[in-house]
Amino acid sequence: MSAKQSDSANRIDTKRLTLYALFTAAALIFSYIESLFPLAFIAPGVKLGLSNAVTLFLAVRKDYKGAFLVSIVRLLLSALLFGSFISFLFSFAGGMFSLLVICLLNKTGLFSAVGVSIAGGVAHNVAQLVVAYFIIKGAVWYYLPVLALSGALCGGLVGAVSLILLKKIKTNYKL
Amino acid sequence: MKKHDLFIIVAAVFIIALSFLLIKGKNGATLTVKENNKTVYVGSIYKDKNIKLQNNTLIIKDGFVYMKSANCKNNICVHTGKIHKKGESIICLPNKVIAQIE
Repeated sequence: MSAKQSDSANRIDTKRLTLYALFTAAALIFSYIESLFPLAFIAPGVKLGLSNAVTLFLAVRKDYKGAFLVSIVRLLLSALLFGSFISFLFSFAGGMFSLLVICLLNKTGLFSAVGVSIAGGVAHNVAQLVVAYFIIKGAVWYYLPVLALSGALCGGLVGAVSLILLKKIKTNYKL
Repeated sequence: MKKHDLFIIVAAVFIIALSFLLIKGKNGATLTVKENNKTVYVGSIYKDKNIKLQNNTLIIKDGFVYMKSANCKNNICVHTGKIHKKGESIICLPNKVIAQIE
């Protein structure tokens, strides 16, 4: 009986599945749009991370499972479409760690989308730097100041975008 | 924006400032190379350079220094690997070469 209950609790119904698919598609489009405006001249790997507005939206609406699902599928798909195995390692480590930080901070209920997103942006870039250290085994820490700064700034912008989204999209998609 | 967001902003600024300071401190590191008790090279370890000595080749790349080749038998200096921290050194006794980071 209990196994059956947990089974139905873990199941994603069709409406939610469709929503997650839409969210993933939106995140992928964001990834594509920002690839048209490269910021990598600042330091290798710097980008806005607009697609994180989607996962942030889900996380702030307290759908943590959805945020992780959409994030993982988006990372896999964008690696298959635009990236390589190495770029997947970077983005996966960054994405998962920042999402973990975002979810934990959001669960405290003390911070707004912008604050949560700034922490997520910094966490994202720090995680990438750790991966880079293990791959290159070199002096990657010299990028830390620039990456931490750009992570905070981009995180703040993404947070502001999701704040607007959260205000505009009032529909409660939770079922 | 909530009031507690300030904590995150302060923490982020702190991390950024700290990392800037750490890197600035490390940037001061210079490499001194001595051969036969004479100083033959002094320079930053963040400026890539191939230093050709009489019997050895020393490479500076991306803040790391290593001995690429030496004509001695044991090649201990080559096997020392890459150094980058203050106080670390590569020493080649047969050719009287000392490369130290200060």
